[in-house]
Amino acid sequence: MIPKKRKIVSTLALFACFLTALWGIFWLSFIIIDVVRHGITAINPSLFLKDPAPPGEEGGGLRNAFIGHLLLTVFATLIGVPIGVLGGTFLAEYGRKYKISRVISTLADIMVSVPAIIIGAFIYAIIVKPMGHFSGWAGACALGIIMIPTVLRTTENMLSLIPWPLREAAFALGAPYYKVIIQVVYKGAATGILTGIILSIARVTGEAAPLLFTAFNNNYFSLDMSQPIASLTVTIFQYAMGPYEDWHAQAWGAALMITLFILIATISGRILIKRRYRD
Amino acid sequence: MIPEIEVRNLNFYYTGGIHILKNINMTVYKNQVTALIGPSGCGKTTLLRCFNRMHDLYAGNKYDGEIIFQGMNILSKETDLIELRSKIGMVFQKPTPFPMSIYENIAYGLKLRGIKSRGELKTRVEKALKDAALWDEVKDKLNANAFGLSGGQQQRLCIARALAVEPEIILFDEPTSALDPISTAKIEELIISLKGIVTIIIVTHNMQQAARISDWTGFMMLGELVEYDRTDKIFTVPSNKLTEDYITGRFG
Repeated sequence: MIPKKRKIVSTLALFACFLTALWGIFWLSFIIIDVVRHGITAINPSLFLKDPAPPGEEGGGLRNAFIGHLLLTVFATLIGVPIGVLGGTFLAEYGRKYKISRVISTLADIMVSVPAIIIGAFIYAIIVKPMGHFSGWAGACALGIIMIPTVLRTTENMLSLIPWPLREAAFALGAPYYKVIIQVVYKGAATGILTGIILSIARVTGEAAPLLFTAFNNNYFSLDMSQPIASLTVTIFQYAMGPYEDWHAQAWGAALMITLFILIATISGRILIKRRYRD
Repeated sequence: MIPEIEVRNLNFYYTGGIHILKNINMTVYKNQVTALIGPSGCGKTTLLRCFNRMHDLYAGNKYDGEIIFQGMNILSKETDLIELRSKIGMVFQKPTPFPMSIYENIAYGLKLRGIKSRGELKTRVEKALKDAALWDEVKDKLNANAFGLSGGQQQRLCIARALAVEPEIILFDEPTSALDPISTAKIEELIISLKGIVTIIIVTHNMQQAARISDWTGFMMLGELVEYDRTDKIFTVPSNKLTEDYITGRFG
């Protein structure tokens, strides 16, 4: 009798899992379809090639925000990734013998879940206030700081997964520690670290809150990182709250582009992973 | 017979002063196979890892005594560990291929020695793979990932990697305990074929293996080297009662 009961319970559990998965996928596709439906109508060359028109006037685009967002993301990556990867390497390799490493790991875990707007406020206090104005650098720093704990912890975890005998084997061939790390350990952990980096880039690409206090916004085209700079997310925020139909449409268009970027980043990360492991 | 390594009054302590090796004295002879046997936890692997100072990777370990190799005490602070480990290679219990191609695995040690010429790398990789009896199996897929090889092939790859840099000594830490009988037989044949070319010290749990492949055998127990002699003597007329009990399977 018991086996029959088990079978029923098992079927029920399977069904419950299936339903919850369906529920999640339903909302996810709802959001994506909605973004695509509204966004697709706003996608036209002038969205990418023109700067915003004065309020109330027809036309214009978001070139300034696309370029600004790209600059912010690139510089945030340049700030966050090296610190994250090197810090993670220290924790997993050289820092194993120090107690402080455990403390740093725990702090990084806490940092991962600190609301992004708090990082924005922090950068506001230490960079924006002393400089006296908003700037692209402040925005890039805020995003970079948000990236650090994710990259750091992923790197640390991925390096710890590499078995010790592999390092010993490299040491036994007479390799110094830095070569063991760069040539053997990193090679084994590369995919995992890369995934962490891509995920953290994807995360900061979607952030608006930390940019409000730091990069602020700019209605004009600008490549000057020491001045306020436009970003897609803040523009979406501003345009979605605005009174004009035009702005709403462009906000949808920008939302679609960000979603596509994150999708492409994630998928290309996955393809990279597969390619590495194929042979 | 030329002595290769002289171990004199070697004591070894793990973190917290735990006394693992007690007053070890032995002579390892050049181009012979020396086996270390004994029950689990007797210190045979610990002794093996003294020869290339592997214990230095972990804090708190302490050596006492002397291991003389090429006229120098390798336990002294002045020893250049990178140079030492290029002369004394090691093969581990589980195969440890690096996450790279078969070719790159063998070339790794050579590149560490500063060999850059493609031609020389190629010939030495080929020679090492031939010496390790792996060449015929991998010659068509040198650029394939080393993880694609079977366990036995991976272990021979690791032996080839150790051989490529032409060390004086290769340390084997239970190299066949993770392998099936056929792969084990291949590795044993390989070790026998390396006799006369390189000095081999092998730790093994398998007494028959020690009897089959080694010229000298050391029996260890509770951190002491109970008896060290020619293999045929140890397995036929051991002079110590403990050795006799162990090899006849009365304990351990």
